[in-house]
Parts: sequence; structure tokens; C-alpha cells
Amino acid sequence: MAEDLQLQSHVGKSFPIKPKLKPKARTLLQTPESKYWSSFKPHQIPNLVSSIQSLDFSPNPPHLFAAAHSASLTLFSSKTFTQHSVINSFKDVVTCSSFRSDGSLLAASDVSGLVQVFDVKTRTPLRRLRSHARPVRFVKYPFLDKLHLMSGGDDGVVKYWDVAGESVLSNLLGHKDYVRCGDCSPVNAEMFVTGSYDHTVKLWDVRVENSRSVMEVNHGKPIEDVMFLPSGGLLATAGGNSVKIWDLIGGGKMVYSMENHNKTVTSICTGRVGKEGGDEAMQYRILSVALDGYMKVFDYGKMKVTHSMRFPAPLMSVAFSPDCMTRVVGSSNGIIFAGRKKKKENDEPVVRNFWSLGRVEEHRKPTLRPSYYRYFQRGQSEKPKEWDYVVARPKKVKLGEHDKLLKKFRHKEAFVSVLNGKNPENVVAVMEELVCRRKLLKCVSNLDNEELGLLLGFMQKYSTAPRYSGLLMGLMKKVLETRAEDIKSSDALKGHIRNLKRSVEEEIRIQQSLQEIQGIISPLLRIAGRGI
Amino acid sequence: MVIPSLLGLPADSNEKQPNLFAYVSLKDTRETVSKKHKSKSEIPNGQICKCNLTESRLVGGVTLAETKLPEPITISSSGKYFGITKHQRLSIWKVPDTETERVVFRKITLRHTKRMTVLAFHPIQRIVAAGDSTGRILIWRGFGDKTFASGEGLVSGKIMLNDEEKPGVRDNDDAGSCTTWHWHSSEVNVLFFSSDGAYLYSGGKEGVLVVWQLDTGKKKFLPRIGSPLLYYTVSPDPSLSSISCADNQIHLLKMPSLEILKSISGIKFSCSLPEGYEGFGSGVAFDHSSALVALRTDNYCVQFYSLFDDRGISEVQVCERNHQPGDDVTVVVTVVALSQDGSMMSTVEVKLAEEGIGGLVCLKFWASESQNKKFTLSTIIYEPHRDACISAVAFHPTRRVAVSSSYGGDFKVWVCNDELEQKDVMLQSSGWTCHVVGSYKKKAITAAAFSADGSILAIAAETVITLWDPDKNVLLAVIGETLTPIVMLSFVGKSEYLVAASWGSKPQLSVWTMSKLSVSWSYMLHVEAVACAADLSSFAALALLPESSKCQESIGTTFQGRDGVILLFNPTDPVPVATWSARKAKGGALSFLQVSRSSVEENISGWKPPQTLLAYMNSDHEYVLFDPNGEEIHELNVIPRKDLVDPEERRQFGYASIYGELPEFELKRDQMSWVPSVPSEKPWETIFSGSSHNLPPLTKLCSAFLESLLEKRTAVVE
Repeated sequence: MAEDLQLQSHVGKSFPIKPKLKPKARTLLQTPESKYWSSFKPHQIPNLVSSIQSLDFSPNPPHLFAAAHSASLTLFSSKTFTQHSVINSFKDVVTCSSFRSDGSLLAASDVSGLVQVFDVKTRTPLRRLRSHARPVRFVKYPFLDKLHLMSGGDDGVVKYWDVAGESVLSNLLGHKDYVRCGDCSPVNAEMFVTGSYDHTVKLWDVRVENSRSVMEVNHGKPIEDVMFLPSGGLLATAGGNSVKIWDLIGGGKMVYSMENHNKTVTSICTGRVGKEGGDEAMQYRILSVALDGYMKVFDYGKMKVTHSMRFPAPLMSVAFSPDCMTRVVGSSNGIIFAGRKKKKENDEPVVRNFWSLGRVEEHRKPTLRPSYYRYFQRGQSEKPKEWDYVVARPKKVKLGEHDKLLKKFRHKEAFVSVLNGKNPENVVAVMEELVCRRKLLKCVSNLDNEELGLLLGFMQKYSTAPRYSGLLMGLMKKVLETRAEDIKSSDALKGHIRNLKRSVEEEIRIQQSLQEIQGIISPLLRIAGRGI
Repeated sequence: MVIPSLLGLPADSNEKQPNLFAYVSLKDTRETVSKKHKSKSEIPNGQICKCNLTESRLVGGVTLAETKLPEPITISSSGKYFGITKHQRLSIWKVPDTETERVVFRKITLRHTKRMTVLAFHPIQRIVAAGDSTGRILIWRGFGDKTFASGEGLVSGKIMLNDEEKPGVRDNDDAGSCTTWHWHSSEVNVLFFSSDGAYLYSGGKEGVLVVWQLDTGKKKFLPRIGSPLLYYTVSPDPSLSSISCADNQIHLLKMPSLEILKSISGIKFSCSLPEGYEGFGSGVAFDHSSALVALRTDNYCVQFYSLFDDRGISEVQVCERNHQPGDDVTVVVTVVALSQDGSMMSTVEVKLAEEGIGGLVCLKFWASESQNKKFTLSTIIYEPHRDACISAVAFHPTRRVAVSSSYGGDFKVWVCNDELEQKDVMLQSSGWTCHVVGSYKKKAITAAAFSADGSILAIAAETVITLWDPDKNVLLAVIGETLTPIVMLSFVGKSEYLVAASWGSKPQLSVWTMSKLSVSWSYMLHVEAVACAADLSSFAALALLPESSKCQESIGTTFQGRDGVILLFNPTDPVPVATWSARKAKGGALSFLQVSRSSVEENISGWKPPQTLLAYMNSDHEYVLFDPNGEEIHELNVIPRKDLVDPEERRQFGYASIYGELPEFELKRDQMSWVPSVPSEKPWETIFSGSSHNLPPLTKLCSAFLESLLEKRTAVVE
């Protein structure tokens, strides 16, 4: 029976006026991933002095982050982006900072060659590690190691510190130029890498006696940043315009080179997409920032840049919070471009309900008696069960006001009502329908002055839009022909016509300049085509 | 013809059967032939006569009325009155109580100022309703109070009524009162009282069924039926009725709600085209494998009609508009094309501009999921060739590729994205995109065709035939010129021949060979349609007879009324293999159909069905199927197959295929219950259904109710 109903469904059915379809983009405007990355609500932290050298998140909640700028280190709340505290006990420009794995201590290095360890809460310097002869460029706590510290500097020496004793355990020599960056292995407390301006990244193991590097890879450009990928087997290096991925287990082979940046890549970090506990598994991405002002998200599983974001300043540093809620990007002119995802409201209450389940609900639920009003409403909002057979109400065709009027053949009223509306597509669709009914010109000639003004206003706005111009330009000529007298007699309409004239002239100018450009380009294209 | 006594109470069978009389409306052919030479147009042509059915002869000398044209007789449901419309008058007779040959008829006449078109009697009261040509409905209450009442033995004071007390009645006519309702804008074709007389149904050219409440004059509508209404019938079941439309459709209505339950459609008539668009071909496409024909219809649909089963399969709304019968056509579906396997369809619609504004050409691609011919819209392309009209659309025989050619001087090859998908998995949406654009010397492209294997695309640029590689868009060859623009191109099966037909002042049917790239032979014929079978080496052409030969032949009367011939050719030989003459060939269509064994089984006993049939459809959408290779013209009267099943039951076969055969008797019962007019097994449930105002009076219902219960009881006993 349903089939039969479909078969004759066009009989007696009325069709609402539909605007012309727009061409659909072949590729989705926003991939789910770019949607994810743009869902971080932007927030700017301005007015920091000079460029943000380094950003680091505290590993435990509430995930404060430390921004190193000029001769101070500022801690910010990652929720509100308000300043939490400032550490000022530096003599020179702070270059790098690193939280300990429990988040209670913070190590920071500066240009004077000093490495200091602070208590995050009291901001007092607990230890001063002085051994580097030149500016220290990187300092890092090893993975799950509370006692040691790594640092490297412009003297080309990488030092492994015993923090408590303020003493250097080993000096790792081998870099021929400034050591700029480094990272500790996420799976091993003794392994770490450093990158230097001598184009090489060296892998160190402090257990190795002769303090020589275990492995070395050559990036080909001075290295700005180096990072272990979360598996610990892959390494990402940033230098020049490229980010390269290396396979450490496979003997330091290059896996991929991403060359999407136009200027030097200054910093990289790992980011994660996907919901925690969601259907899709969490996936890691490389976030890279460069002096060209772009932040790129690189999927090293698919070896593809999945998202790209532009910021209005050269970017110096990037960090992503461990709870995936915040990402911060530091620029060279002292602005931190922060972004925070909106918290899902339903997360917390669900957790709370777990504690107080059962007892509360039982006595809350009142028994309904016929004396209650709700007694008569019971079951009305019941949702159908999975196995219930739902008798669907026939879907009502939604008719706009103009559709209803067109159904009654009240053409002019329909025309005016759609002109009063906001949607230009509908106006054009109604015009097309009126053309089909051979009533458009009659409608135009029946408009009174006020309605004519409405039409002219619409024309002025949209007649140069390429989608509508085919119809509207022709109609405009007819309107001007038929209603010339009315327009001459009314000042308001004259004003409309003046505006209309202006917008048409503007369009003609644009077209002419476009043609000029086409004239310039077409011989070039011809030549290029011949070359192939 | 009406037979009043059939409607009256049945006489007891013991009595001697009285003579059965019928009143017939005749067209007096004898008289017209004899008086033809006098050429008097006012001579009455129709007669109302009385006929003795028992002795099967006309009752001599009884001519009730004479009319210019034979008029249909309308009889009241009680069988007491019958009447005709006679120009501006209604003539109503009372059937005599005792029917004999010589009886005095009582007749009244009701006058009006407009031509009357239809009349209807109230089933209970003495009310007659009539529609006129301007759309008015007139209702006379108490007609014949003076004339008929005395016969009924009622002597009342009503006879003495003054004229002032008879509002609306003209010229001292014999009626109590006359009211006029005017809603219809043109003539009323359908007028009918509901069985209890509370409602009056009317319909006309607008395609709107109006339900009038007789006492109050309030209206209810069933709008947008889409074509003029012709007849209206109620079934014995008060909840069912049917209307028939001018577009060869019958709609079954569920009564109180005026809801269309089911539509039964015949083949739709060819639609009217505005001037300048007649040359756009017949708008007919054939599906060779499943013997379907796709026709464009008036209400912007494409109807799929099964030629073997002789019934409508489905309809596709090409353009989402309501057709208003009587409006001038402003949107035309110009091209309908089907792919070889019938799974894809392409339509072109043209919106005509109003004084140069708002014209639009729209190319649409449709896809059907499976073989059920339910096409869904896949892609819309607005203005595919700027504002130029599309001359032809052709599908690739094997792949999802199509070509559209336009008078604007270019052709485009369209590719369905499903093909691209193999290359790029990321493309999710399937749709048609333009693959290549080609043009030849900026000439209008008038026809396009793919070769049987799809490797060559033949494009006719006005008078020149060009051959293209559809994939690489490379011009392969240019072969000769015809005298006038080519309108049709077709490859002959898998052979190396190409048939081209051109129209104009010097029409031509030419056959080109691909091996020599030259014309093989040609005729000076105006060819309306060309059909080629994929696996046949011959082709058929429908040619219009030239004017000169028609004149000559008409003397010999060989081609009486026939203006076309169907010629079957072997492309190697210019002498036709067979010829048939055809009627109304202008705008006709021709196609070979592949016959599967199952579709024509046991139609004609002892006659082996051929592999291919030739289908010819003329401009009025009358079609014939015949075997082109048979020695004698074996006109295959394809009878609808006996095992023609409704889709409902077809599903059961699917069920049976999974769970095995069901017992035979169950199937039969299903078939029975499917017929809508058969009351269900529990009639007492349906008797009281429907709104109360629509039900027959309770006294009537009660007896029916009791009867139904009794029937049920006996059935159980059996």
C-alpha cells in the first residue's frame, strides 16, 4: 500500500517554491578534524614584553602554563588565561622552562648561563645550577625523573645535572654549534635528544660511559626544535622550513619531511584529537608553528597536513595542554594566542550522579493520583521503545507565507511578502515562479510606490550578484520601462535608482578590471600550456 | 441508454415478466445520410426513443425529443425520472408507472440562459442539479410539482403557488425554487449526488473536485488533480468512489476524507507544446530490455508505461510544479533519454521566458536504485550550455557517461562521479560532472550518438557528421555533409554503419559507412524516427509520406488516412526489407524491444515469440507491437498476462523464495481481499465507519448491519 501511495503521491500535492540549488563543494568545507581545531575558542593574552621564547604546561591539573618572555617567567591559568604568578628572579632573558613530572617544581634557564629550579607555589628559587659558560637554551626534566635535569646551551655542551646537589653528573660533548633544543624520551628516563645549529640531532644515553652520542641524524638545516613522538620510537625535528620525522628504532631513517611552512619553523609540540573515551581513538598530531605566522596540524599517521591556522604575527613557541583543552601559541611580539575548548556541560553532572544514585531518585518519584494534574498527562511524553511500531504522522509540507499566497493565486501579495522577507534566494525563486505563471510583469505594474521602493532596494542589493543577475538585470530594464512615471514623481524612488546606478557602475568597473587581468593572464597560460 | 425498470423494485418472479423498456439516445444516421445533400445544419441529428428490450425493437412512433446532437440521458437513481440537457434547457420526463408501448409521457422543461452541460437527480427528493458552460451549478427543488404531482395522486395547494414564491425559476417553469452556485470557472463536466443526497459533487476543467453541502452550500475541495475531470462514480460501498480524468487516469477516492487511495493510469496522452517547441522530438524514450516506454506528460512528469503489460508502472515528477489544466504551457520537458540498461534517465526542461526574462534550461540526471523504475534525482545542472537549448542527450552504452549537445554550438560529456570514485575514495557524493566540452566550428550541434561499444561518439554539427573519442575528447574524423541539418544520428547495431536523418526543405535519410567514411546510400525522405537494435544488423525508420505521393495515393485509396510508412532496412542494401504503413506518423516513435521468454509466454498458442519486436507509437500514443521479421503482419495483440500481479503480491514471491511455497489457498484469499470493492470479512466493522454525516440513514444501516451478521453466521455454519 505504501508503494501505491508513493506512486500517486504527486496528485493533489502542492510544491513549495524552492530556490535554485547551490553547487555543492566537491570536498567538504570543514573536515571533522579542522572542525576540532577551530573549536578552540580564541583568546589573546597581550602586553607581554618581547617575544615568547618558550611555553610549557604543568603536567598535573589545573595545568598552569609557564611563558618565558624577556627576563621573567609568567604562570597563567589555562582555564581563564589570567596571570597566576610571575617569577622575576632572573638577571637576563629567560630562554626555556620545564615543569617536573609532578608539576611542583619548575626549571628555567636564561641567557646568563644560569639554570634555576623554582617551587611553583612559593616562586622561590630552590637551586641555582651554574656551569654553562654561555647562554643556556634548553632545560628539561627527564621522563618521570625527579632528581635530574638536562640542559644545553650556546657553548655546545649538554649537561646532565643532579639537581639536589647542584652538580653536573656528565658533560656530553659532540655538538659543534649552539645547542638549541632537546627532548627527553617519553618511555625512558635516561634517553634524550638534543638538536643543534650544526644541523644534527644527537641521541644520548646517560648510561653510556664515554659520553658520546648513541645516534645522530642530520636535518640539513639548523635545528630549532626537536621532540620525541609519544611512542618514543619516532622523532620530529624542526629546522629551516621543514619538519622531519625520523625513525629511531629503524636506525635513524627519515620517514617524512613536511615542507608546508614558508619560513623557519620555530617550535613543535604534540597535540591530540578525538574525545577521551569517545568512539574515535585519540590520535596524536604534530603542531608546528613558524615565523610565517601559520600553525599547521600534521597527521603523521597519514603524512598529511590536516589543518592550518594563521596568526597575525611571527610565531615563536607552541604548547598543548595534557588534558587537550587548551593550546597556546606564543608570538614574537609578546602576544600569546591561546585557545580553549568549551567544556561539555554534561560531563560533571554525570559524575556527580554516580555518587548519589538510587536512594534519592526512589523517594523523589511521586505516585500520581487522579487529583493531580499530571496524572492526566502521564505517558504523553513517552518515547517509543526500540521494538515499538511507530505510526508516523504524515510529514507536513512546510509552506512559507508566499507559498500560501501563491497557492491562492494572489501573486502580488506573495511577491510583496517575499520581498519583505530576508532571503534573496526565495525572492528570486518567487520571481521565477511568477515568470512561469506569466504574472511577473503584471505584478510589477501593480506595485504601489512603497512596494516598488522595496523592489528597487532589493534590486540595488542583489542585481549585480552573479547568481541572480541574469534574471534581475532583465527585470530591472522592464521595471524602469514600465514604471518610469512613478519613479520620476517620487524622490525616494529616485534615490533608489541613484543607488542602483552606482552599484551597476561599480560592477562594470569590476568587470573591466577583471577583463584586464584576464588579458594579462591568458597569454601566460597559453605559453605555459605550450611548454608542457 | 437507460432502463428505468432495472433501478426500480424488482418484480416478483412468479408474475409474468412485463416488457422491459429502455430509453435510448440515438444518432439518426439514416436521416443524416439521406438529407446530407441539403446540408441543413439545423436538422435534428439525435433522437430519444423508446425501445422494447424484450422484443428487441424500437417502439414505433414514440420519439420523445429531437436534439441537434445525440445527448446522453441521465436517470435518477430511483428510476422515476430521466432527462437530457438540450442546449439552454433541461427536459425531464417521468417514467410512467405502468410501462406499455403507448403511454402518455409527462414532460417538463426547465430553462436557463446558458448552455447546459450536465444534470443530476437527487436520489430521494425531487431535486435536479445542472451545470452550465460558464461553471454555474443550478439546483431546482421540487421540479414538476404541477405536472408530475398529479400523477402521484397528490393534490396539494402547491399547484396554486404564485410566481413570487418560486425564487430563481424562469418563465413559469414547473419547479419550486432554483438556486445557483458559482465556483467553477469553466464548464462543469461532473455532477453527482452522494447516495444519501446530502452532498453534491462537481468538477470541471480545473481539475478540482468540489463537494457541496446541499443544504448550506458549503464547499470542500480536492484540488490539484492535474487534469480535467470527466466522470464521477460512487461505488455501493459509500466510502469509495472514483473519478476519471482527461489524462487517462482513474483515481479511487476514500470518501469522507477525499483522499486518493489509488490511481490507475493508462498511457498518458501526448502533451501540448507551445509554438516553436514542436520540433523537439516526441519526448518518448524506450527501455529496450524491459519493454518500457518513458513518456512526458502534461503535468511535468515522465510516465513509465509497460508495453507488454499495458499499464502504467510509475511516474517521475521531473519539475516540481503543479499543472493547471488550461494554463498556457511555460515549462516544457523537451528531452527524455534513458540509458541502455534503463537505470539512468536524463531529462531536459525549458522554462520559457516572459518577455525575455527568466528563461532557464535545466538538465537533470536521474538514477533508479534497482529495476523498480523509481527514479530519484541525482544531479541538476542549470543552464548546462549557457542559455542554449539542448538538442539531444545520449547515454554511453556501458558506462555511466552521457553526452548532451546544444544548439549553442558545443557538446559536453558528463561523467557520473561513481566512476571517479575509484580513483579518489574521498569523494562521497555521487553526481554528474562535466568531463569534457567540445565544439566543431562553432556550429550548432544537432544530434549525438554513441557507437555500440561506446568507443566512438558521433556528433552532428548541423550538416556535418564528426566522430570523436569521448574519453580523450579528440576529433577522430569528419565525414561528409548532408544538405540540411541533421536531427537524428544512430549507429546500426554493432555494424559499421551510421544512420543520419535530416529534416528541412530537402529531408534525407542517409546511411554512412565507418570503414570508408563516406555515404553508402540515401533517400530523400522525411524520417520521423529511427530505431536500431543492438544485436541486429537492420534498422527501422519511420518516414512521413511526401505530400506529392500522398495526393496520388489518396486517389488509389491505398493509404487512406495513413501518412507514414515504417521501413525496415538492411544497411548494406538500399531496398527496404519490409514496409508497413502507419497512421498519425508525425511525432511518432519507433523502437526495437527485446523479448524475454517470460514476458510473452503463451500469448498466442502455437506461435513462437520472436526475439525482438518492433514497437511503433504514433503521435496520439497509440502503440502496436509486431514482429519485424515475420512473413505476414502478425499483429501481436499483447494481452495483459494472466499472472499479472500487484506489487503487493509480488513481494510475497520474495517471501516464498525464502521460506518456500505457501499453501495455495492462502494466496488466493489474499488476491480476493486485495480488490478494494470487496467488503472485508467483517462487514459489521466497516458499516459504521466514516463520519456520521456521510453515513446512510440509520434505518437503512440497521438492516444492513443485521444482514451482515446473519451472513456471517451462515458462513460459519458452512
